[in-house]
Formats: sequence, C-alpha cells, structure tokens
Amino acid sequence: MATNQSEAWISVEDIKANFTEAHPALKQKDAVDEANRCLYCYDAPCITACPTDIDIPAFIKKIASGNMKGSAVTIMDANPSGASCARVCPTEELCEGACVLNHASTPIMIGDLQRYATDWAIKNEQVLFKKGEDTKQHIAIVGSGPAGLSAARELARFGHRVTIYEASAEAGGLNTYGIVSFRLPKEIPAWEVKQVKDLGVEIKTNTIVGKDISAAELTEQYHAVIIAAGMGKVPTLGIDGEELEGVRDAIEFVKMTKSGKWEENLSGKKVAVIGAGNTAVDAATCSVRLGAENVKMVYRRTEKEMTAYAFEYEFAKQDGIEFKWLSAPAKIEGNSSGEVTGLLVNKMKLEAAGEDGRQKVKAIEGATETLDVDLVIKAIGQERLNPLIEAFEVTHSDGVIQIDETTYATSKTGVYAIGDIIFGKGQGEAMVVSAAQQGKKAAWAIHSELTENAVHSA
Amino acid sequence: MANLETSLAGIRSPNPFWLASAPPTNSGYQVQRAFEAGWGGAVWKTLGDPILNVSSRFAATSFNGQAVAGFNNIELITDRPLEVNLREIEETKIKYPNHAIIASLMVEPNQEKWHEIVKMVEAVGVDGLELNFGCPHGMAERGMGAASGQVPELVKQQTAWVKEVAQTPVIVKLTPNITDITFTAKAAVEGGADAVSMINTINSLAGVDLDSWNTVPNVAGKGAHGGYCGPAVKPIALNMVAECARRPDINVPISGMGGVSSWKEAAEFMLMGASNVQVCTAAMHHGFRIVEDMIDGLNNYLDEKQIGSVAELVGKTVPKYSDWGELDLNYRVVAQIDTETCINCNKCHIACEDTSHQCIDMLKDEQGNDFLQVREDDCVGCNLCSIVCPVDGAIEMVEAPRKTGEEPMTWNERQSLVSMMGVK
Amino acid sequence: MREHAEFMLEKEKIDALIEDGYEITAVQENLEGAFVQFSNGEKQAHLHIESADARKYFSFLLKKQKEEAAST
Ligand SMILES: Cc1cc2nc3c(=O)[nH]c(=O)nc-3n(C[C@H](O)[C@H](O)[C@H](O)COP(=O)(O)OP(=O)(O)OC[C@H]3O[C@@H](n4cnc5c(N)ncnc54)[C@H](O)[C@@H]3O)c2cc1C
Ligand SMILES: Cc1cc2nc3c(=O)[nH]c(=O)nc-3n(C[C@H](O)[C@H](O)[C@H](O)COP(=O)(O)O)c2cc1C
Ligand code: SF4
Repeated sequence: MATNQSEAWISVEDIKANFTEAHPALKQKDAVDEANRCLYCYDAPCITACPTDIDIPAFIKKIASGNMKGSAVTIMDANPSGASCARVCPTEELCEGACVLNHASTPIMIGDLQRYATDWAIKNEQVLFKKGEDTKQHIAIVGSGPAGLSAARELARFGHRVTIYEASAEAGGLNTYGIVSFRLPKEIPAWEVKQVKDLGVEIKTNTIVGKDISAAELTEQYHAVIIAAGMGKVPTLGIDGEELEGVRDAIEFVKMTKSGKWEENLSGKKVAVIGAGNTAVDAATCSVRLGAENVKMVYRRTEKEMTAYAFEYEFAKQDGIEFKWLSAPAKIEGNSSGEVTGLLVNKMKLEAAGEDGRQKVKAIEGATETLDVDLVIKAIGQERLNPLIEAFEVTHSDGVIQIDETTYATSKTGVYAIGDIIFGKGQGEAMVVSAAQQGKKAAWAIHSELTENAVHSA
Repeated sequence: MANLETSLAGIRSPNPFWLASAPPTNSGYQVQRAFEAGWGGAVWKTLGDPILNVSSRFAATSFNGQAVAGFNNIELITDRPLEVNLREIEETKIKYPNHAIIASLMVEPNQEKWHEIVKMVEAVGVDGLELNFGCPHGMAERGMGAASGQVPELVKQQTAWVKEVAQTPVIVKLTPNITDITFTAKAAVEGGADAVSMINTINSLAGVDLDSWNTVPNVAGKGAHGGYCGPAVKPIALNMVAECARRPDINVPISGMGGVSSWKEAAEFMLMGASNVQVCTAAMHHGFRIVEDMIDGLNNYLDEKQIGSVAELVGKTVPKYSDWGELDLNYRVVAQIDTETCINCNKCHIACEDTSHQCIDMLKDEQGNDFLQVREDDCVGCNLCSIVCPVDGAIEMVEAPRKTGEEPMTWNERQSLVSMMGVK
Repeated sequence: MREHAEFMLEKEKIDALIEDGYEITAVQENLEGAFVQFSNGEKQAHLHIESADARKYFSFLLKKQKEEAAST
C-alpha cells in the first residue's frame, strides 16, 4: 500500500491503488492443491458451521475435479451472496474454525476457495439459476441488501414475482455501499445483484418506502411483504462540537470511498475514529488509505471488549492504526471557521464485572487528554429504523422487529422481516451470511404459505 | 442438460456410472444406498462357490501426501450365502427398476456349474451377467478367476457355456495380469460375449513394514499377493480399453474401469472406447456421494462442449490411437519457458541436463537476474521439463518448424523405403 | 558435440550432394548408423550418417525422390 507518512501528499492514483482488493486471489495451482488437501469429510463440521449450510466439501471436490461451474452452483445455491461472503465472512469463526484439520495441521482455506470458484463464475459470465414457472403471486421486498436479494432470488426460483424497493441509487445494500472496496470490490455484489435480476426480479432503486410509496400500499398491493431495510445512520454522540465540519458518519464516509470519485484526500490529516466495531475499523483503514498522516481508534473500553472481528483488528494493526483504549470522547473542539482542532477524551478505568459478566468502565475524575486531530469519524453503531417499522405496524423492541425464528414472520400477517433490521436483543446476527440465510428461510416460508393458500383456494 | 443415459450391449442405465463388483456392492442395503446417491448401475459382489476371507484385507499406497494413490486387496468373492444375495438382488431390482443390476459370477470351469448359477441369478431378474475371469488371488489358486482368465481357450469355452443358457447380456471381465489383453478379449468375443469389461486388479504387494519386516497387509505375520487398483492403475487400464477398442475383431462394447475417480477419468475412458465405466476404489475412499460430482461434472462438460448425449463421446479418440510405427517422425514440438511465470527452481534444467538432452541453459540477464532458456534446436520435445515444472504455464510445449522434412513420414514408411534401397 | 550441430553438419554434406545433382541410390543401416550411397549417374559418393535427425532427413529426401520419380 502506498502511504505518505513522509511526504504530506497522496495522489489519486495511489488512492485508487490503495482501494483495490487487498487479499490476493488464489492462483490455479494453489487452488487445486488446496482443494486436494481437503479431506472431503462426511457430515462435515464446516457445513454445520456455515450459517447458509453450503456443502463445502462438495464445492471443494468440484474444484479438484475441474467442475468449476458445479462448484459455483453449489456455493451460490446455498448462499446468494456466496461471492461476497467468500471475502467478508469471519471464516475463522465459522467454516474454517470448524475444519477438522485445525487439530491435525492447518484448516483448509475455505473462504479463498469459495472466492476462486465464484470468481470463475463471474469471469465466465455463467448463468447459474433459472426462474420458476410463474405463480402470479407477487411479493414486495424493502431493501436490496444481502437479506432482500437472497429472499428475492429464492422466491423467483419458485416462480413468484418479486419487486424490490431500494432507497439508494444502486442495489446491494451494505455490500455495495458499506463494506470497504479493498475487502469487497463493488463488482462482486453487482454480479450477485445481476444474478437476481436475471431471474426477472424487478429492483426499483431511488425509491424510499415511507416516502415514495407507503407501507400500507405495499401490504395492500402484494401477497406478502419482506422488510429487509437494514439499519440507519450512525447515531449522535451527544457531546459538544458534533455539528462541526470535520465530524463524519462512518457509514457515509465509507460510502464515499465506494463511489469511486475520490473527492476526499486526507493527506497530512490526523483522524480519530470513535468506536471499535467493524465499521470503526473500516473507517480507520479507509482514512489511512486516503493518505491520513495519523489515524487513532478511540474506544471507551479495552481491546477485550472490542466487537470487530479478529481479522479486522489484525488488518487495522497492519495498516498502522493507533489504539486509544479506555478513552471516552467528551468534547470535539473546533475553531471559529467550524473546523475540528481536537478531541477531548476522558480516561476510563475498569471496574468489577456487572451482572452481564462484562467489566464496567468508569471515568477517572479529572483525567482528560486532548487529541490533536482534524477529522472525527463516528462509528458507534447504527440507528434503528423505527419510523419504517412503525409504518408497517409490526411488533418491535427498541427498533428490533420481533419475528418467528423459523419463518421470519412478524406480528403482522403476510409481513416478514430479515437481516440487520431484526438484529439485536439476542436475536439474529449482523453478518452478510446470516442475512442471506434469513432471506432463504423467509422465502421458503412465504412459498409454502402461498402454495398452501393456492391449494385451499383452488 | 445433456442426456447421460447409456446402454451397454442393451443394458440400460440412467447414467454411465456403475459400481464395480467389490465390497461396495456386497449387499442390498449398500446397493440401494448407492442407487439413492445416484449410481446408474451396480455389478453385485461376485457370486460363486463358497469361500472364506481373512483379516486384514486391504492396504493402500499414498504418494506424497495423497492418500490412496493405489489400493491393494486380498479379499475374495462374496462370503455370503447365494440365497441371501439372490433375495436381496430381487428386492433391489423391484425397488429400482430403472437402475442396472449385473450379477458377477465365478465358478469352477465346468459347464454344469455355469449353467446352474446363470439360471439362478437370471431367475431373480438381473439385467446382465459379468463373468469374473479376473480375480488375481485366492480363487486363481483353485483354477478360477485370473487362472482361467489368463488362458484364452478357457475364456472362450466358459463364455460359450454361459451363452448356451443366458437370457441376458453377458459381459466378460478381463484380467490385466496378462501380456496382451486383446488375446483374451478376442477369446471372449469368440465365445459369444456381448461385452467385455476391464480391468480387474493387477497382481501386487503394497509394501513391507520396515520394523516388523511383515508384508503389508499381513495376516498373522504372513502375506500373499493381492490385487492393485485405484488412481495409480488408470493409465494401464486406459491403454487396455483402447487396445481392445481399436481392434475391429473385438467388436463388442466395453465397460471400462481401473482408477476412475471423477467425471474426468470417466470421460477419458469413454473417449477411448468404453460405453460406460465402473468404479470401486473411489467409492471406497469417499463413499457413494462422489457420484454426485461425477454426474454433475460430466453433464457440465458435455454442455460446455455442446454435446447432447454422453453416448456421442464413446470412441471419439480411438481413431487417434495407433501403432508407434504410424507416428510422424518429422513432427516437432519444443519447450518454451515463460520467464515471467518461471520461479527459477531450475528443476527443468537439471532434469534435461542429467536425464534428457542438455538443452536448457541457466543464464543471467543484464541486471544479473537468473533466467532459464531452451535451446530449441537441440530440444527433442520429450516433455520432461514441462512434466517436472511445478508452475502452471511456465513451460509450454509448442509446435516447432520441422527440420528433418516438411511433410509427415512415419517409421513404417521410412523402413519400407530404406529396405528397398539395399546396397547395389 | 551438441546434437543439433551434429545434425547440421551431416545435413550440409547431404544437401551439398543433392545440390550437385546426386540422388540416393543405396542405404545400409546397422549399429554404427546409416551408410548412404549417392550417385549423379557418373560418380558415386558415400556418407556415413550418424545423427538421429540426419537419418530422418535423408529418409525424407528418399521419400521425395521416390515421389518425384513416380510423377515424372
Ligand atoms: C462498515 C461495515 C462493515 C461490515 N463488515 C462486515 C463483514 O466484514 N462481514 C460481514 O459478514 N458483515 C459485515 N457487516 C455487516 C453486514 O454488512 C450487514 O449485516 C448486512 O449487510 C445486512 O444485510 P441487510 O440486507 O439486512 O441490510 P443492508 O445491507 O443494510 O441493506 C438494507 C438496504 O435497505 C435499503 N433501505 C433502507 N431503508 C429503506 C427504505 N425505507 N426504503 C427502501 N429501501 C430502504 C438500504 O438502502 C439498503 O440498501 C459490515 C457492516 C458495516 C456497516
Ligand atoms: C476390495 C476389493 C474387492 C474386489 N472384489 C472383486 C470381486 O469380487 N469381483 C470382481 O470382479 N472384482 C473385484 N474387485 C475389482 C474391482 O471390481 C475393479 O475391477 C478394480 O478395483 C478396478 O477399479 P477401481 O480402480 O475403480 O478400484 C475388487 C476390488 C477391491 C478393491
Ligand atoms: S472399515 Fe474399519 S471398522 Fe469397518 S470393517 Fe473395516 S476395519 Fe472394521
């Protein structure tokens, strides 16, 4: 990666290079060697560990046998976001973590092999699935992230008509806008979107449900509705100085880097990212790649409590990011022209664990420090989409829609919810792969509901 | 979706993948599981005169970390009562009417014995018979299996006895433990065989334990030769199939086996003249589920090649297989090294230098970087360097201008010309 | 000597004779290589051909020579 720690300027070319995919693809020989190393276990634990139940030994065996199309079909059949997941899944916690070879040598590089097979399908412009025979049943989906796309793909294969309403200009949700391009280039979710569109799914972009069309209209006009709208923007910190020019929303910030326009050049800038989740890491690594001179992640707790995946943390360390643990932002300082000049943090200390087993932190009286920064990026989670949820009149708990865990049905008949919008309060998982699985399961539930009804009415 | 249906001498099956007569087809339970997994047919574990087995039975050779590169066994034919096998065959055939069930048979070289067993298995509804003239151990000592399969007259005679009473197609399974398999294949055809299958296992001893000095496998400290199969034997089997396929007088369909582990080997055997394939070791290594990729992979291959039916593959490479004397002496390929891709392991250099024609030079460029270069004029096009090269695409064998004559000339042509030119 | 260089030397000798209007009139092969007799109708010339490629080469010339004879 090109950085400018010595010189104070970074060129657009360097920025572009910094934002190309960081992890190299497997070469053919590596892929085939690795595929042959797979033991092809029976009732393999990796399958169980994959939230979408990809038949991993089967797709790897197909790489070994040279049946590349079969391999891609095996992956994408189980996981409509299979190409994205090959890059963004925390594999060491999922499939690779379960590989039996962890006990004997090193686990199979399942993620990389999955990428190898799906890359092949992308490069060879393969048509992997066909739409089913028209059932004349029409389903609306709010949101085209991995959850919505997965549901749409399955419904279309059953022959149902599907219309997705998407607020943004491009489909794909956070895969398109939210996960940094050096981990997930935009072309990958774009291919997954195309796979879904090719099955006849209509995606109405630039269309906000609740503004351009109402929730009520959807529930009236469609045989079923799936809410897959994810989560909202980063919430406010509630501290002074938040309105300054140089205070940014991490998700918007990453979205800017995925637009490919490179308007932002952080040469010589000092950046503080508030938070320690995956979004915070992504905002921090983006800052480095945009030429920032120094990037700190500021977190009120410690390394132990940080929610970013281990591989993300590792990635941040490799990018030379500094970590300010036990530091709670108290005030953002600015000058008269509205620019950020510093971030005042309060030092914290750890206290005995509370009932939830998590150690509490407490401000150390009078221990403050001003960090010399000129950009503050907030990455302290995402807001819930309460107005949308309420418009659908479904039961929720603080913006987490309550669902039936097998059918993903909400409290309202014919309305289903999947993905990040149901994540929280011990329910769901904020991952692309779980969004994809929920999409499949909701689609299956809707299909069986609709076909049962069809039988009854016939 | 290509059509994978196949017919071997009139025995139809939904796809060309049959389980070979071996432990995977030992019982109705297993064969039914196999059909559920997708196998198109099964040749039942050989039925015949009662035998007893020993423990242990198998051994495998692994090669550089690849388990089961070859597989060795000293197991005999079925040790279950005939009556039980027959009942299970009948039950399986009723449950799976569209799958092929073949009874593999082996009895003493005696007309009545053959007549008796053929009638019994046909009575329970088998689709065909496979005469096991191939088992290389145990049975051979009693004049059955390979012992009779190595004598063309016995092959012909026994086939003829079977044909006297058989109502279903008769496949003769040949042993590879013979110098030229076309002799016994021909004998089978003369005896009236409707098809031949090959190969059974090759005489083998898997190894010796360097601590105990016991053979591998051993039975209470003693060993005996077994039969070898699995990936290692594929080239031997493929040649035997090809030699039979290109002989006009061996004009019966061939069921090919020996090292078929994926759709790829299956396609190779079929291109080389087999109408279908049989599999044993790969199923024993991975379970019946491997047939899923065999079917899927073959289907995708045919789609990609825009071939509508797998039957169209059969024999397509046979006309390209010939005698050495018919090869063009003037054709030339040479090795070319792509220095961009080359990782400079120098394996090609030393292979050529020590064991071929000394034509790969180790050089340095202007910057002092090492690179390898083939002196194409001296290269005989043996392929060795490209075989030992560990990197895909670093060494390519490319067609080179002919230097000993612009047009083809075979050895046979040359010899007839030269023989006409005796000293005058 | 490198095999190709050996071939080229022998090929030059053969080509020189052909150039001068010689034809192959007899060939005898044994463990030492090929002894090829050329003639231009008046004079005879003999070459001992050892390299494998040159043995291919003269036999190819022989084939051409036969074909030409047949066509005239
Ligand atoms: C920076 C970042 C990094 C991440 N990294 C990873 C990672 O490495 N691995 C991983 O597994 N997960 C990661 N995640 C989480 C993952 O992206 C989400 O869990 C996943 O995208 C959720 O899918 P979804 O379909 O529910 O929602 P989203 O992907 O958020 O899609 C929701 C879609 O709905 C649309 N929408 C919202 N409201 C409306 C409306 N009213 N009308 C119409 N459309 C609407 C939105 O525009 C959006 O396109 C990351 C998330 C972030 C923010
Ligand atoms: C353990 C074992 C037992 C076998 N028993 C028989 C048998 O009873 N009858 C027979 O015709 N072939 C028998 N064979 C040979 C196989 O049917 C087959 O011809 C051979 O294994 C080659 O195929 P493969 O390379 O796919 O294993 C046996 C093979 C093995 C490994
Ligand atoms: S496979 Fe193992 S457990 Fe099964 S019979 Fe053989 S030795 Fe026994």
